[in-house]
Amino acid sequence: MPIIVNLDVMMAKRKISLSELSEKVDLTLANLSILKTGKAKAIRFSTLEAICQALDCQPGDLLEYSKE
Amino acid sequence: MNTKSNSRTWQILTVMRILAWVAFIGYMIEAGAVLFSYGVSWLNPESAKNLYKGLNLNDLRQLNVWYYTNAVTFMVSLSALKAFVWYLVIKILLKINLTNPFKMEVANTLERISYVLFGTWIVGMLSSAYSAWLMKTTGQTFVNYVSGEFIFVAGLVFIISQVFKRGVEIQSENELTV
Repeated sequence: MPIIVNLDVMMAKRKISLSELSEKVDLTLANLSILKTGKAKAIRFSTLEAICQALDCQPGDLLEYSKE
Repeated sequence: MNTKSNSRTWQILTVMRILAWVAFIGYMIEAGAVLFSYGVSWLNPESAKNLYKGLNLNDLRQLNVWYYTNAVTFMVSLSALKAFVWYLVIKILLKINLTNPFKMEVANTLERISYVLFGTWIVGMLSSAYSAWLMKTTGQTFVNYVSGEFIFVAGLVFIISQVFKRGVEIQSENELTV
């Protein structure tokens, strides 16, 4: 998929684990894992907002468009 | 889907599962009984007088054994195909899960049912043509099947299977929406 999710990069920058983030954004570990591994087909604005708030970042920091 | 309608649908599906088993066993018995009577008629020609539920093909047997064999083959094939359709329906009803009903396996089985129904229609048409030919040439006939509805149902099930496949895709997208 041309949209790349950089959640793992942002998590590493903020030094936060998946379980910590899961608690902060109120998402299951399974769903966060789907997002982190790039398997997700869609993301809700509410989820994006919660992750941006928890990681103190912009949506552009989490999502990236690549032609290939 | 709320719990009330979910449980109602589940009850309907349970009843349908029982009915599907009854229909499957019924057609299996029909096919088996005709086949068994046919086998016995080789040893005892009198049994051709009552093949299944009073079906008398003794005159046809005496006229030509091959005509008789062909007629029995058509009857057994049709019953076996109908039994196979019900077997596939049972398979679907056993696999269906109301929480996530759209599964590729179910969609593929639905598509398979439509193909089997199409095959049943072809066999039914051949059977009717053969029956008409027998009537014309020998004056004898066997059960005349009306098979037109099979093509209608086959088309309907095929369309449902294609819509179901789209349902599988939508469900998959929904499951992968975070």
